[in-house]
Amino acid sequence: MVGTSKRLPAIQRLVEIKTVAEQLHFKISTLLLHGGKVGEAVTWFRQHNGSYRRLVGTPEAVFLHWEWMSRQFLVFGELLDKSSAAITNISSLALGTADKPLSEWESRPAYYYQLAAHYLKEKRACLELALSMSETGNEMDNGAESVVPSAYVGQFARLLEQGDEFAMQSLTDEEYIRFAVVEGKRFQDSYEIIALLKKSYESYSNLKVQRMGSFCGFQIGKEYYMAGEFNNAKQLFDDIASLYRREGWVTLLWEVLGYLRECARKYGTVKELIEYSLEMAALPVSSGTDTQMKYRENGPAGPASLARREEIHKDVFGLVIGESGLSSVERNDDLKITLDNPLHLEIDLVSPLRLVLLASVAFHEQKIKPSAPTLITLSLLSQLPLTVEIDQLEVQFNQSNCNFIIMNAQRPPLAATADDKQGHRVESSSSLTLSTNKWLRLTYDVKSDQSGKLECTSVIAKMGPHFTICCRAESPASMEDLPLFKFEDRVETSPTKDPALAFTGQKAIQIEEPDPQVDLNLGASGPALVGERFIVPVTVSSVGHAVYSGELKINLVDVRGGSLFSPRETEAYSLDSHHVELVGISVPEGKDETQLDTDEINKIQKSFGLFSVPFLKCGESWSCKLEIKWHRPKPVMLYVSLGYSPYSFESTAQKVNVHKSLQIEGKTAIVISHRFMLPFRQDPLLLSRIKAVADSDLPASLPRNETCILLVSAKNSAEVPLKLLGMTLQEDNEDTGRPCSVRHEGEDLLEPALLVPGEEFKKIFTVISEDDSSKLTIGTACVTWTRDSGSKAASVLTKQTLPDVNVESPPLVVSLDCPPYAILGDPFTYLVKIRNQTQLLQEVKFSLADAQSFVLSGSHNDTVFVLPKSEHILSYKLVPLASGVQQMPRFTVTAVRYSAGFQPSIAAYTIFIFPSKPHFKGAAVGTGG
Amino acid sequence: MIVCVAVVGHQNNPLYIQSFTEADDALKLHHIVHCSLDVVDERVNNPKKYGPTLNEPFLGLLYPTENYKVYGYLTNTKVKFIVVTTGLDVRDADVRNFFRRFHAAYVDAVSNPFHVPGKKITSRTFAERVSTIVKSFGLSSAG
Repeated sequence: MVGTSKRLPAIQRLVEIKTVAEQLHFKISTLLLHGGKVGEAVTWFRQHNGSYRRLVGTPEAVFLHWEWMSRQFLVFGELLDKSSAAITNISSLALGTADKPLSEWESRPAYYYQLAAHYLKEKRACLELALSMSETGNEMDNGAESVVPSAYVGQFARLLEQGDEFAMQSLTDEEYIRFAVVEGKRFQDSYEIIALLKKSYESYSNLKVQRMGSFCGFQIGKEYYMAGEFNNAKQLFDDIASLYRREGWVTLLWEVLGYLRECARKYGTVKELIEYSLEMAALPVSSGTDTQMKYRENGPAGPASLARREEIHKDVFGLVIGESGLSSVERNDDLKITLDNPLHLEIDLVSPLRLVLLASVAFHEQKIKPSAPTLITLSLLSQLPLTVEIDQLEVQFNQSNCNFIIMNAQRPPLAATADDKQGHRVESSSSLTLSTNKWLRLTYDVKSDQSGKLECTSVIAKMGPHFTICCRAESPASMEDLPLFKFEDRVETSPTKDPALAFTGQKAIQIEEPDPQVDLNLGASGPALVGERFIVPVTVSSVGHAVYSGELKINLVDVRGGSLFSPRETEAYSLDSHHVELVGISVPEGKDETQLDTDEINKIQKSFGLFSVPFLKCGESWSCKLEIKWHRPKPVMLYVSLGYSPYSFESTAQKVNVHKSLQIEGKTAIVISHRFMLPFRQDPLLLSRIKAVADSDLPASLPRNETCILLVSAKNSAEVPLKLLGMTLQEDNEDTGRPCSVRHEGEDLLEPALLVPGEEFKKIFTVISEDDSSKLTIGTACVTWTRDSGSKAASVLTKQTLPDVNVESPPLVVSLDCPPYAILGDPFTYLVKIRNQTQLLQEVKFSLADAQSFVLSGSHNDTVFVLPKSEHILSYKLVPLASGVQQMPRFTVTAVRYSAGFQPSIAAYTIFIFPSKPHFKGAAVGTGG
Repeated sequence: MIVCVAVVGHQNNPLYIQSFTEADDALKLHHIVHCSLDVVDERVNNPKKYGPTLNEPFLGLLYPTENYKVYGYLTNTKVKFIVVTTGLDVRDADVRNFFRRFHAAYVDAVSNPFHVPGKKITSRTFAERVSTIVKSFGLSSAG
């Protein structure tokens, strides 16, 4: 700037310098930002700002400086705003230098808009000053109008018209100031400031920087307030107030509430005016160190002090009680609380007005019987700076017939309330005075006839004729700290005198059901047996209550938990997946009512039943039978509950419930087992048995074309005697061409067989396999039985499918042949027959061990060859040496071709030796085997 | 020169705030302190961006306003100290030194068995000690 012409006067020269600097700065900044060098641009701006901010100029032109400053910030902010879209990662840029680091806020446009607004405010203040000083502004209007920007940047000139010619004439500083003041008047700075702050506010909101945003909002609100746009101001202030409330910034909140209160007053909304006033009066501003200060920018709230709070408190209560003397309110006629315009405030759990009135309600007990009285303690707390007198308190419950009213004995009863609250209990208290931070505790007794929950919902305090505060009741146990006051260092007191009640007290109480006077009986005895329809008699007998619209609910629940259904086992009972099922409910016949009621059965499901009980007079009884069927042995819990109403048929009438439960075991009654037996002393060589010795799961194998015996036994595994009615072997239908014949050995039962617990019933069947098929289906064993209790019990069929057996032709069959008994000293013949059933020559090794009770003749060891389809007989002569049951010499055969050793069972060797020849009566004893 | 000192609790609530100006602009200072909590939040939430600040309670310059500079300090118990200074040449070392002494005073104040943690600090001794520390700010380096 050195060497600029001294042509211009001082003020205009400064203007010119700044304008030129602005132009240059704009270009540099644009270039830097265009290149993405945000850090450099910000540093450059800071330098630019630093060099010019002190060039204030002469006092009368100060507003020009602030306007210029504001413009610098605005322009740079806008440039940043435009370029920030291109620069994605501002934060990663190395900002600033070591000694003067740049904070990340300086790269955000919001910061510049905010400062632009700040400087514009300065400008406005200075301009107002300048305007008040230049009284002569209006006179010079004509002269100023012709001032235009000259050809040079930053210079102004007067435009003179001389005919068709235009000429520029330079201005004096005085003229220029006048021009500038007039120009300045044309702009509405307020709106400009609001626009700037709004930009900043929105930008901060987008960045979720709420506190700075709130500060901007506060400034906008103030501008709106000054511009007289109270609605806009109120919205902003409300938002901001909630932040300050949450974070406990009492001084800031006080200021905002002051504005809100004035907005409400200007707007004429009494309710809000009173709400804001009450909140202000209850704010904790009396304590603390920094609250006695005087603000330079004192808002309408006034200084935050105890005295000011008391003043506000008096104002509010003067208004609500209806006394005149409100200096500030008097001028507005709308702001009155009258009979036509009553005021009702609601204070809920999150309301900021909890400071004003907090109601804590605690029942002294948790559970009571109906109609039994219990104590309730009502505690009220207020943080208002002065004592408050309550005229009347109304306590409301969810059961409205429990509501009661507490009157202040020192006040005359209010006529207006007498008629609409009729029928409610009225109590009277000697004093209903609330002092600051001191609980007002009132204890009364309450009783309710209705069972269920009795909860205190709200407490309504009436002050003055037309003002009520409805305060939501809170339980002391779950009461939250007072907002704002929780940060204050004050004495904490509990709402009830009893500290235990203050910790556990609840605003709700459980009122129990009246005791049932109906007996419910489940008459089942003993375990149930699988398969039968087990009958559980249920008896409902009234001992004091009549039963109206009674309903039985029946539930079957697995004792071990879980359902009665297991998906894994469904294949066995695919039709019937429940292991235990409720089959039916039967009512003893012969009563007319029951016929009517049967169609009222609502539901019977597998494990759930609903059944209606007819009307029973006092003293009557009614019974029904539940039929339950077990498919698997399993214990279940049977729950039966009776719900009835003791007084009337109405569906809304109160229900009384009786519950009964019974655990019932389900047991298997009949266990069916079976066994195959081959002919005595005849053993086929079954190859499948040799090969898979380890595998015991193989189905049984039977030799082909041999007669086998099938022994089916049914064992009573229950604890009660059973009657067995019959046992059959059913063929499976799908296998039509059966390759075996099963013959019954013996007749069917003529009369039922009694089985005591543990006893077994056996039946013999003969099985002959005739076909070449390797598989043999035996069929299903069916046992029909019944309990041996009464003749009425229905018979139960228990089925069990017998496993299939393999059939194969044995290559060799070894049979022992000897007489059925022997006599001491008498020799007898002992034959071992080895039959070769194959087409091959079989080499067979055999050996015979000595037995001590016998003398033996014949070869001990040898190898013989058995020709195809023929029989080799080894013959021995034995002389018994001892009497009684004796073991004959043991005989071992080894088939070389199959490398299969074979030894008959011990039973096959056993023989009884008589000491002398027995004399049998009757038929002669056969000698053959 | 220090114009305002504040202790801010866990819920960003002021525990102690005191301004030291002749002019009546305490409210403005309260606003500045409150706004600076946004910067503290940002620094605490993005520790990587601000370099190796492990176990470093001093947060440095939070943000410059037109006339003031705001410095922050975060104790191990996440209590924030905010200082608002004015004047051109405020050195980091001085501010660090100030915070160290202020922290000691704070620790002594909250160690009082009658002080309930989380409540405002109302101790008169603490207030006196703070004003002594504020007055001596910058003197040691200047002298």
